[in-house]
Amino acid sequence: MTGRRRLAIACVALAQLACGGREAESGRTVITISSSVVGTDGPLLRRQLDRFMQVNPGIEVRLHRVSDDATQRHQLFVQWLNARAGDPDVLELDVVWTSEFAAAGWLLPLEDPSIDRAAFFPGTLRACLWAGDLYALPWYADVGLLYRRTDLVPKEPASLDELATFAQRGIASGAVPFGIAWMGARYEGLVTVFLEYLGGFGGQIMDDSMNVRVDAPEAVRALTFMRDQITRWKVAPDDVLTWHEEETRFAFQNGRAVFMRNWPYAYTAMADPAQSRVAGKYAVSPMPAAPGGRPTAALGGAQLAINRWTEHPAAAFALVQFITAPEQQLERAVAIGEFPTLRAVYDEPSLRAALAIPADDARRAVESATPRPVTPLYTQLSEILQIELHRALAGQITPEAALTAAAQKMNAAVARTGLREYMFGRPVTSAR
Amino acid sequence: MSARADPRLTQDRRLAFAFVTPAVSVIALIAIFPLLWTLWNSLHLQDLRMPWLGHPFIGLDNYAELARDPRFWSSLGHTLFFTVVTVSLELVLGLIIALAMNSTFRGRGFARATSLLPWAIPTVVAALLWRFMFDSQAGIANALLVAIGVLERPMVWFIEATTAWIPVILSDVWKTTPFVAILLLAGLQNIDRTLYEAAEVDGASAWWRLWHITIPLLKPTIFVALIFRTLDAFRVFDLLYALTGGGPGTATEPIALYTHTIILQHLRFGYGSALSVVVFVITFGLALIYIRGLGLRLSGEER
Repeated sequence: MTGRRRLAIACVALAQLACGGREAESGRTVITISSSVVGTDGPLLRRQLDRFMQVNPGIEVRLHRVSDDATQRHQLFVQWLNARAGDPDVLELDVVWTSEFAAAGWLLPLEDPSIDRAAFFPGTLRACLWAGDLYALPWYADVGLLYRRTDLVPKEPASLDELATFAQRGIASGAVPFGIAWMGARYEGLVTVFLEYLGGFGGQIMDDSMNVRVDAPEAVRALTFMRDQITRWKVAPDDVLTWHEEETRFAFQNGRAVFMRNWPYAYTAMADPAQSRVAGKYAVSPMPAAPGGRPTAALGGAQLAINRWTEHPAAAFALVQFITAPEQQLERAVAIGEFPTLRAVYDEPSLRAALAIPADDARRAVESATPRPVTPLYTQLSEILQIELHRALAGQITPEAALTAAAQKMNAAVARTGLREYMFGRPVTSAR
Repeated sequence: MSARADPRLTQDRRLAFAFVTPAVSVIALIAIFPLLWTLWNSLHLQDLRMPWLGHPFIGLDNYAELARDPRFWSSLGHTLFFTVVTVSLELVLGLIIALAMNSTFRGRGFARATSLLPWAIPTVVAALLWRFMFDSQAGIANALLVAIGVLERPMVWFIEATTAWIPVILSDVWKTTPFVAILLLAGLQNIDRTLYEAAEVDGASAWWRLWHITIPLLKPTIFVALIFRTLDAFRVFDLLYALTGGGPGTATEPIALYTHTIILQHLRFGYGSALSVVVFVITFGLALIYIRGLGLRLSGEER
């Protein structure tokens, strides 16, 4: 333990050296916030931090640069937090990490009475909770959207059947080679796509008692529907099984598909007629559902949490509150089009004018946003699911066999950790 | 035996120990200590996601789980497959290139320098390059194979286990053969020319000279190349991380990538430590076998 502690101190010292020392010149409290500082995001965040420092002259905020790749950022945070580094004080977390980090004891619970939980969309807030306590505040929301070519499709598809029909018609007309493009590579994106079809058929990944439900008939129907798009109706090319966000967007942007499932960023990215063949010819809606299901959008986006090892929890909390406040969310939405997590912001006239996507469509999508299972095991469960989904979509195994295998492995992983016993009060019988 | 009685030698010995101590302590600190720590961790339950389970000693449970873990066995299989195929190809091709570069021809210096280019490219960059070349829509591999009639229509390389291995093996061979070639070239240049001249005078064919002079005398260098390449290939990580991500499914997942996932994605430090220990034991065993094959002895004393 002493060895570990010493190592931890050494790591903290190194981390401090790495960001140039954290002693303020004028006795101000110095805190840091993680950020990838790429694209339009960097200047905006800097502007907001400058304003924060004007309002709070006793606090100096510095940016701690991290990778913009989520997997790498996760790895960095794990290394730092496990070594008890107090820097960065404020962490930008992907929506699926919060429960994992909270369970590991790496985040401070946010108990301040000034937090109005009801002001946030329920899905965005649910992703910030662990064992009933709040560990982060929603910063911005990413939601899965169905893009459609307005010149090829008469209206928003009202059901999944209609989606398949419109896609087939689009190909039959000879206007496009593909009916629908989505991210089907074996990675996290595939789970978000599956989650939407799953919800559309009335299923869920995990129920409230932490039982994995991906072997239910609804789930088999959802995966079969995805597979049929590739093999039966041939509206999605084989290639989708290697596609991430960008390959998917390129296919749609080059005018090769009727529909595309993607995130809001693509809306702005495809608007430039110099680079996009579909500029002005597309619209978005939430994914449709089958009878008995409900339209579902996967929730992505970021949250802000406070490092458990910070030396300045009060200053860190002030910063989190400032950045997630309505003014800053509005500014963010207007400047870079990321969806606010606060309901009230959608009524702002300036938002309605500035958001590329009609504000009501955006609000509808965030309202129906469903978080992925909120559990510290999420990364592991998602990986099991990704592998089995991908095997079924690639035709190596039937959807039913894949989902049975996935459910069995996922349930075994949950059982081994004693998570259910911990969550629902029964004693942890065995460590394994 | 009289050495032990000689006070001067004893003093030399002490001095020698004093000189060796710093090096040994550095090795202990940066190699032996982490190794023992990993070993210790592998005997414990340590799951950062589940702090309430504590950090209890569980004996060999992690290893028992490993033995039952199909993903461990398949990743071990992939690693062995990758190692055997790439190292054999690299050795054969490397030897051919080395022999060619060892003969005298115009522009030899230029050829030697440029042959190292693939080796100089960072692995991740090379992996992405190969990823693009084997892209199903815009990749040059599909365009070429369709143009010459091998394929009827473009294929999706990375969704099938067998076809996903092709870019993996090709890129590793492309990237690492130059390294093997340069190593072997150095060995070739150490072979005494007069041996070849004598053999030629005796009327030996080029083939005979290759098998009876070049290969036997090159054996130590070949073993060195084999040690480097086998251990490197066995620990392959970055190439597959960037090229296939271990997919489709886990069909190209090597053991290093699986370990990385267990520790840094699943936060199961205890189980991940057990995996690391197994990888260490295997690579260390391989190194020992090679060193024996090379006829080297670990202690410096005379035989």
